[in-house]
Amino acid sequence: MVYGEEKMKLTWKIWLLIIVVGFSLLSMFGMPPTFLEKGVLITSVETNSTAFEQGLRQGQIITNIDGTQIKNLESFSNALQGKFNSNENIKIIIQTKNSEVILYSNHVPNITVAEIPKTNIKTGLDLAGGSRALVQAVNKKLSSTEINDLVDITRNRFNEFGLSDINVLPVSDLTGNHFMLVEIAGATKTDLVELISKQGKFEAKIGNETVFIGGERDIASVARSGQDSGIYSCDQSQEGYFCNFRFTIFLSEEAAKRHAEITEDLEVNVTSQGSYLSEKLDLFLDDKLVDSLSIGEGLKGRVTTQISISGSGSGITRNEAYDDAATSMHKLQTILITGSLPYKLEIVKLDTISPVLGKEFIKSIFLAGLAALLMVSIIIFIRYKKFKSSIALLITSVSEIIIILGIASFIKWNLDLPSIAGIIATIGIGIDQQIIILDEARQSTSLSIKQKLKKAFTIILGAYFTAVVALIPLLWAGAGLLKGFAITTLIGITSGVLITRPAFADMVKRIEE
Amino acid sequence: MEQSKNWYDKNYKLLLVIPLVLLLSSIVYMGIFYSNNQDFLYKDISLTGGISITIFGEINYLDLEQFLSEKLQEVNTREISDLITREQKAVIIEIKTEGCNELEVKQTKTILEDYLGYELVDGDNSSFECTGSSLSESFYKQLLIAILFAFFFMAIVVFIIFRTFVPSTAVILSALADILMTLTLINLFGMKMSSAGIIALLMLIGYSVDTDILLTTRMLKRYEGSLNKRILGAFKTGITMTLTSLLAIVMALLVVKSFSPVLTQIFTILSIGLGFDILNTWITNASILKWYMEKKK
Repeated sequence: MVYGEEKMKLTWKIWLLIIVVGFSLLSMFGMPPTFLEKGVLITSVETNSTAFEQGLRQGQIITNIDGTQIKNLESFSNALQGKFNSNENIKIIIQTKNSEVILYSNHVPNITVAEIPKTNIKTGLDLAGGSRALVQAVNKKLSSTEINDLVDITRNRFNEFGLSDINVLPVSDLTGNHFMLVEIAGATKTDLVELISKQGKFEAKIGNETVFIGGERDIASVARSGQDSGIYSCDQSQEGYFCNFRFTIFLSEEAAKRHAEITEDLEVNVTSQGSYLSEKLDLFLDDKLVDSLSIGEGLKGRVTTQISISGSGSGITRNEAYDDAATSMHKLQTILITGSLPYKLEIVKLDTISPVLGKEFIKSIFLAGLAALLMVSIIIFIRYKKFKSSIALLITSVSEIIIILGIASFIKWNLDLPSIAGIIATIGIGIDQQIIILDEARQSTSLSIKQKLKKAFTIILGAYFTAVVALIPLLWAGAGLLKGFAITTLIGITSGVLITRPAFADMVKRIEE
Repeated sequence: MEQSKNWYDKNYKLLLVIPLVLLLSSIVYMGIFYSNNQDFLYKDISLTGGISITIFGEINYLDLEQFLSEKLQEVNTREISDLITREQKAVIIEIKTEGCNELEVKQTKTILEDYLGYELVDGDNSSFECTGSSLSESFYKQLLIAILFAFFFMAIVVFIIFRTFVPSTAVILSALADILMTLTLINLFGMKMSSAGIIALLMLIGYSVDTDILLTTRMLKRYEGSLNKRILGAFKTGITMTLTSLLAIVMALLVVKSFSPVLTQIFTILSIGLGFDILNTWITNASILKWYMEKKK
């Protein structure tokens, strides 16, 4: 007996399982394991802030501030507390894992931080929290090229607005509908509806006639820096502050001619401030009047390509008004460059999910999983009365979970609710098939154990292929929102057939022999 | 043992009456159901379109429902509580609406805020989900298509594996019976199906075919032992499979019941389906196969 056990060496199939499980653990926890790392993770950096200019970026890990080691969120806020009480610029040294950044500033750095995640497993929107919108055009079926253009334009705009953490993707469904999917992970204050519903239609009108619209057909170029673009004055008013911006745009020849034709017929009004045309140039953004510009007498009937656009921003403090003006200017410039979309957008699905329940949910999944596994082991033990086989079955099932999670972290798949349902389905199928292997091996026939196991695999392969074909339609149904179920199940049953089940069969072979 | 075998040999055809009666009544029921509702099931707002708002904190959800039902049509509320302490964590409010435009959303929120006395901030003190009705309708259609295709592909694979008409048809018939009987029971319970529930039906195809393939393989491709012995052998394996799955799912169901409506529905449907699968595999499929094999002898 002792001799027999010594002989029980690990076969290559079992080795393969061990290696794959090892790699999966590596992919889940990273090397060195992330749960051993100390510091805080930067989750966002405001663009145009000092922190951004000095090189702080999303994804970096802050380990040290002014010589104080940063271990977690608490030590991070302790390190910054009390530093910015006066209005003077002070120097702080921030050490990240790979660099050192020195900031001179009178306010807390414009970054958000979070604890370093303990694993590389990413959870989907429905668990981690965040916002998601599925967008279509109103009364128009978009082709896949149109959707790709829309996605590009939207991405550009979000970038221009300084929103880098937004995921914009084209998706399609079984019936050939195309959608744009916009996702922001994590808790966020960004108003997706506001962002998307603004189709960014820019029109400059004199009276009822359109002089030019946003986009390259009418606008040759837009000045974005230097003398021709900027905020030139800030004034205090009763409610707070107003800041005014101005930038120059260059019209195409066609638009310039249109301008000349329309202004030709206007009368000239002489006022105390100077002589202006009787109508103003009204600037509309999404059908809302943003500004009215008086047109100087000198421009009447002239083919002019250079036009100065102005507007304003407001706020309670001067800084707020300045920032507001800067944002509005930026937005207007972007819209003038990228042009408006030729159709109205409609949000057909909108989810904003808080991360609060997600954590609790993951806890409950763990409990449910444990309860289920416990139940399975009890039944297996009662049925087979063999400790070794039951343990082998449990080990195999647990390694299957590890492999799925490992592969999911490796391909950066976001585990959402459907994905978790898929993992549960896989474990169920896996246990069923291991029972088939166990029972086939125990059949009292004249066949050798090898032949018996081969028979088990005919059944398993049959079940495998039926499951695979049943899952394929789900990859597309419902704009891919249920894809997670198919993905995790496919990973699970495929790695099951290729790796875990053969290894389990070898274990059983050793135990039965 | 000897006696029970004899009993089985005498009566296995008669046993078929049980699933047959159940199947026929399911078909009749579903036919009536469809003509009454123009649909195969009751849909929740994930399939009809509407707003689902989760508000955190302890809120009397029955009072809230009463309040809302006076102001809005088709309101449904539900509570979520902690697994262990049973302390209320949140309320889910589901309201049927046409679209997700700002006006509709704002209207609903204002009514809720009036009741609560504070502002709802998405992602902060509440979660907000909205699906437009036309999108939901198309989701629903696609999920039905996905199930049809899944079933069809499964049938093809089964035919490829066994290459004989009667046994393959028996497998497919018992999978179909599983789904039909499960659907009937769900409708009898008045359960409102979500997209997750439809996924559960899809999972059911996979689970139910497993044991049928096991049984058919043992019967068709093995030549050792009598037919009854082979059926009994397959039964022992198969019933272990189904019972482990069933008990594991029931355990998981008890854990998630208060917490996740989505998983609760998936697990409930799977438990029902697996229950019917015992009947359909070991009576429907086994009897048809035995009949076929006896005749072939």
